Amino acid sequence: MRRAAPGALVVGLALLPLAAIEPRVYLTLTIAGLAMGMLIFLVAAGLTLIFGLMDVLNFAHGALFSWGAYAGFTVLVLLNQELGWAEAPSVGLNALLLLAAVAAAAAVGLVLGVVVERVIVRPVYGRHMFQILITLGATIVLEELIRIGWGPNDQVMPVPFTFQGSWDLADVIVLRFPVVAIVLGLAVYAAIALVLRRTRVGLIVRAGVENGEMIQVLGHDIHRYFTGVFAAGSALAGVGGLMWAMFSQSVRPGMGGEQLIFAFIVVIIGGLGSVSGSLLGSLIVGLSYNYVAFLLPKAAIGVTMALMVVILLLRPAGLFGSGK
Amino acid sequence: MTTPVEAARRAERARRWRRPTLWLRLGLLAALVLVPVVPSFQLLDLALKIAVFAALVASYDILIGYTGIVSFGHAMFFGFGAYGVALAVTRGGGPTWSDLGLGLAAAVGASALVSVTIGAFSLRVKAIFFAMITLAFAEFALILAVQLGPLTGGEDGLSPRFPGLLADRRGAYYVILAVVVILFGAMSRFVGSPLGRVLQAIRDNELRAEALGYRTFVYQSVASCFASVVATVLGACYAVWVGYVNPESTLGIHIMLDILLMVIIGGIGTLWGGIIGAAFLLTAQAFLPNLRGLGAALLPGSALALRLTERWPLYFGILFILVVFFFPKGVVGSVRETLSRRR
Repeated sequence: MRRAAPGALVVGLALLPLAAIEPRVYLTLTIAGLAMGMLIFLVAAGLTLIFGLMDVLNFAHGALFSWGAYAGFTVLVLLNQELGWAEAPSVGLNALLLLAAVAAAAAVGLVLGVVVERVIVRPVYGRHMFQILITLGATIVLEELIRIGWGPNDQVMPVPFTFQGSWDLADVIVLRFPVVAIVLGLAVYAAIALVLRRTRVGLIVRAGVENGEMIQVLGHDIHRYFTGVFAAGSALAGVGGLMWAMFSQSVRPGMGGEQLIFAFIVVIIGGLGSVSGSLLGSLIVGLSYNYVAFLLPKAAIGVTMALMVVILLLRPAGLFGSGK
Repeated sequence: MTTPVEAARRAERARRWRRPTLWLRLGLLAALVLVPVVPSFQLLDLALKIAVFAALVASYDILIGYTGIVSFGHAMFFGFGAYGVALAVTRGGGPTWSDLGLGLAAAVGASALVSVTIGAFSLRVKAIFFAMITLAFAEFALILAVQLGPLTGGEDGLSPRFPGLLADRRGAYYVILAVVVILFGAMSRFVGSPLGRVLQAIRDNELRAEALGYRTFVYQSVASCFASVVATVLGACYAVWVGYVNPESTLGIHIMLDILLMVIIGGIGTLWGGIIGAAFLLTAQAFLPNLRGLGAALLPGSALALRLTERWPLYFGILFILVVFFFPKGVVGSVRETLSRRR
């Protein structure tokens, strides 16, 4: 019953706007909201796991998001220039291109994640204030490096032909890319859940979230798991950045900072350390943002904040938080 | 019968006039008072901005250095003050003192309310929430300032005109300098008061302070509220000085990063370190644009070299990381440590 309550909350919230929006628009908005939620989830999942396991609040997560976006952007632009894969009306080539971009984003996220964890975060484990400061410094450096490497301005993100446009299903307009984003988000959630629930590594990570010292006592080198989770979370952030760039069809050096704020709100709503909570929080934020942006465009971010405040007042540790 | 605390206080008071830092501060104040004698507006501008930012950094230090909570909303309160007075004098008819006072009072009230509200639902749970939630609120305030265009002027901001003495550069300089000195005095009293000591106890060991019977989150909220109000007043001073308020220059994350860099360089938990941090950063920022021309002259035609000299926030970021790693106490903290070791 208690576990079902948050889910019911989401469904309830999702159905509420039907009173004010006509059903066809509502469906379009719902798909956009779910897609946005899934993209935020990609960022929030890493953030929440890193916090849960290592007690590190990683402000550099947003910069890794931007790096992923730019890595994917470079791959897309280069492959399109050389081989014309993005413009080719071939589903196979387009999908291959998307995969290549995702792989590049994930790889860049992974490598940068390892570097940030080893060089920046490791010396300040256990000191919250210094972690916040040092990861913030890393954010500045990483963002400025983007500005130096790719230039400080917005650029148009190419989207492979197959994923552009929309399907028209019985008068409901279904944009293609959001559907891809939703599928990818669900796949990532399933993969994380499988790894965490069904593998030995996942078992140790979950145990580490509960009690890190005990894991060390039992003879596991927790620092290796720290690096692994940090790198995996960063890779997810990178992929999230790429997907977000394709979703909004542009890349900007500062894009990560803005998404980081959404991710923080989601992590707070869901409860620090809980992946399921993050998924739920992401969906709540994504859906409510889109509904309100349609009804009252200027109030959208305000409603997100209000949701966070209300949830924190009702459940101070978040929906799935342990209150640790 | 004197308690040890009273004895320590008395000894402290007796030593007050012999401390070298007191004379250092008085000398600095004298220098700031004499700055308008030099007929250079650039210098005057720099001196006043250093004074305002030093006080702003000190107020931030009350949070980060004396209470141990990291806020990303400090620039927001600064912006509240700036927008408060700017809105009051531009939307309230002519520039009058009563409008100015009303705007400042409204801004201070709003800041106090917002900071207490944020504290009430974030500090109660976990101090680390405070960093995330203040960041979200700051972003929200920034978006709000941009979106409420008809009122706030949107991205373009406002160019208020101020009454009487404040319209004159030198008059404004002395008024703002007086406000800054008063605020510094107030902050110095605040951190030295019994309340300030409780805050430091919470910073050093929250669990223990709680076990001693202090309701930590109430104390943290009070500190947050006080620091926010100081920041608001300083924001108003800043608006009066530059005569221009827009989201980017008063509310934005850049101001917040500047404050953080200044507090780190000056020294966390020193209150006066802000002066050094502000002086360093603002002087550097005033002269770095010249450096850009130098880079372009040395390596003409190279876009990458141009960007490398243009993007000086990169070097501040690297400096930031290095200072946090190697001089976590900052300049003033390190100097204090060296001095006390020698003694």
